[in-house]
Amino acid sequence: MISATVTSTPDSLRPASEVMKLERLGSMFASRLSFVRSLMRKMISERWQIVNTVFDLDSEGHGLAIYRITTPANCYHCVVFSRNLTPEQRTDRVIAEAWDVTFAMLEGEVEDTLLEQMEANVPLQEAGRQHPRVLVLSRANRSLRNFSQFVDALAAGRQPDPAWLTAVGYLYRTTAVYGNGKFGIADFARLERNPDFNRPFAAQMLAVYVLRQFSIEQLNHLARVQSPQHAVPLHSELERYLGIGNSTGLGMAPFLINHPQLIQQWVYSRERALAYVRKEPATEQTRTRLRALMARALKHLQQSQTEDGEQSLRNQETARSIAESIDWLDRTPAHPELYEELIQWARSHCSLEAQELVNTLLIELYPDLVDSLDDEFGCRETMDLQPDMKARQLKNLIEEKFDWALSYREDSAADNYWFWYRSVEKEEPRLGVRGSESGAEKELSLAIGPRISLCYTRLTQFLEHNPNAMVVEFLLHHPGQKECVRRIQTMGETPYGEIRANLWHKDMKPMHLLRTKLSFFGASRFDPKSDRWVRITLFQGAPLPRELVHPKRSLEQLDDWGFPLEPELDDNRKVYGDAQ
Amino acid sequence: MKVSFNELQGLSRKAFIAIGFDEGDANDAAEMVAWMEAHGLDGIAALRKGLDFLLNEDKSQPPRLIYQDADLCVVDAQHKTVLGHASLAIELGYAKCRARGLSVTKIRHCHNRMLIVGYLSRIARRNMSVTAFWRNSHEPLTEILVSFRSGEAEPEICMYGLPSTPDDTEPNNGITLVMVNHVDLLPDLKPEAPANDLILQNRAAMLDWQERSLVDGIDVDTELWERLKLLATKMLVETSDDSRQGAGAGTTDND
Repeated sequence: MISATVTSTPDSLRPASEVMKLERLGSMFASRLSFVRSLMRKMISERWQIVNTVFDLDSEGHGLAIYRITTPANCYHCVVFSRNLTPEQRTDRVIAEAWDVTFAMLEGEVEDTLLEQMEANVPLQEAGRQHPRVLVLSRANRSLRNFSQFVDALAAGRQPDPAWLTAVGYLYRTTAVYGNGKFGIADFARLERNPDFNRPFAAQMLAVYVLRQFSIEQLNHLARVQSPQHAVPLHSELERYLGIGNSTGLGMAPFLINHPQLIQQWVYSRERALAYVRKEPATEQTRTRLRALMARALKHLQQSQTEDGEQSLRNQETARSIAESIDWLDRTPAHPELYEELIQWARSHCSLEAQELVNTLLIELYPDLVDSLDDEFGCRETMDLQPDMKARQLKNLIEEKFDWALSYREDSAADNYWFWYRSVEKEEPRLGVRGSESGAEKELSLAIGPRISLCYTRLTQFLEHNPNAMVVEFLLHHPGQKECVRRIQTMGETPYGEIRANLWHKDMKPMHLLRTKLSFFGASRFDPKSDRWVRITLFQGAPLPRELVHPKRSLEQLDDWGFPLEPELDDNRKVYGDAQ
Repeated sequence: MKVSFNELQGLSRKAFIAIGFDEGDANDAAEMVAWMEAHGLDGIAALRKGLDFLLNEDKSQPPRLIYQDADLCVVDAQHKTVLGHASLAIELGYAKCRARGLSVTKIRHCHNRMLIVGYLSRIARRNMSVTAFWRNSHEPLTEILVSFRSGEAEPEICMYGLPSTPDDTEPNNGITLVMVNHVDLLPDLKPEAPANDLILQNRAAMLDWQERSLVDGIDVDTELWERLKLLATKMLVETSDDSRQGAGAGTTDND
């Protein structure tokens, strides 16, 4: 059940009309509630152990590696297969059929028979059949921009230039990270009662985190192989600054539309966090902390690089706005209404991205208030009809909660420009132009706005002759509206409801959809490759596995890894790796 | 072959859409099949049995409401499967029960009746007790009683053969649903009740089955699986240069 209803919402929540606009959702940043941050906090506080148990790689780095993950209650293994990839096989598209590494995380022990089964199937990814104890299946390719020069630098006895990781924050980039029953792996229903992974995407994020550790250890291995006498291990500051890349495209869109209850729950949790913080009186101490966070975020933005002109302009605009926000904060002494004033000032003076960045940083100030929301990002997704609702009530509900959808015009070319479909190539979701590209007859029903509008038109006509009818009677006349009606009834009861956009509209920007989901994951360094394809980085700046077990810093210090900055190494990066 | 619940539900849904189901019916039908299978009630076998029929039935004809008053409704499914056409009849019964405390819904002329159990679990979780009764009119004559207690996701099922064949003057291909708001209607066989080939299935057994499905996966006949995949493929768009551009990414990895 969705835990949120309109009657239980804090009164200072931002309205859905503001928050659920696609452009604003597409301006969000990773926050302390993002899934990678939330997972790391859990791993730190519960001292999860991640230990390499098999490292059987050849001089090219090909072979097998296994990592054992021990939590207070359970044990898991992440099995990594590293194989040779020819240049012609190399593509970052989901339609690829071979990768540098394929990996899977499974529950329990890796028996020999299971390992054999995995060896035969994990490298095949979608083409294989996976064991039901496998929780996550994924693959990754090396970053050609980074990998070799990192190996060469370490083999030569020097540390790689940190700027290389600022430009490309990873050595490996994943394309798809599968969970929830795909290709025979375990259903999420099995994880729901597992405290380790009952939060959305927690298992997937852990698998990615383990790959990060593999990338470090494979790198050190290759450097040692290349130059046993001179090689040095990667500096710990660079280890932390190393993330895992992900490239993703329109595949994110169907998830966002097909899981509206989950998305609303994510937004609701984040917005509650902001609402809690807005009620807090600022102190000199929190003002100082906020300023420091802003300065770090500003520097992070200034260090972010992208070849995409539009994103580059957005970054510059956000950086300018944040610099002005810092000036504003410097001019404004701490007082109880400081946060509210800052939010209002940002609304008047800053870009959407900068406004959302300010909100993200405000949430960062109050771990005690917001971190318990980590456990409220999940929900049971069930949409049930309310058949006895009066049809006129349904009409009122649409007018009240879905008015944004009613601007759709069936006869407008711009309103019907795009159609969404799946290609025969690995069922990859794609966008086509209606009328000029084939396939519209097979389109996916992702455009909720137009569907609601069309349903409303039929409902209005029906009510003219049946003013006292129930919803189920309307549906007996229009059975094709069943899914739309129960969605309206279900989402109409939630504080935030649907993403407010016509996904058919000519001006719709798919990148906003991608960024919405990625910000909740905790992605940084948005680097679009087109208007519907983006590279991001996960876990850049995150603590290392050894720091979880033998922490030299407090939870608060270890958890403070958002908006990572390029490390400054001693002796102009010629420092040898520090004690590992 | 073994598949996950999510795979079975997802592929069934795509296949139902390709067959011509509306999205809502496709979602419901897929959930019904997967739910039945995960609870040990042979949803896949029922789907296999009805698939040819489904492919050939006219999807454009919705169920026809023959009669209704405040707490009774009779719906003609027009010789179609319950997968696509029973849900609205059930929802009508639910609405009437909400208003009157008890409702009777009769669905005439429908196929694949066992699959209706998957949808009734949705009614029960909405705090309504519901009992379904129907007879298989072929030899041997059997009666099936499925009863959900309000709020519980699994039913108790009672199936038995009758010792004699009554005179059924018209085809017995209907189903009767009784919904009640405030009491439970659970099967309680009379001591002298006919018990030929009695099969009782209780909640505990179904929960055990569901647990095994989650841990071990669900066994699916490979041939049926391939058939569903082939059906689902009908909703995929052939690739073209335009189509490849539609993904928005390049074709090489220069990262």
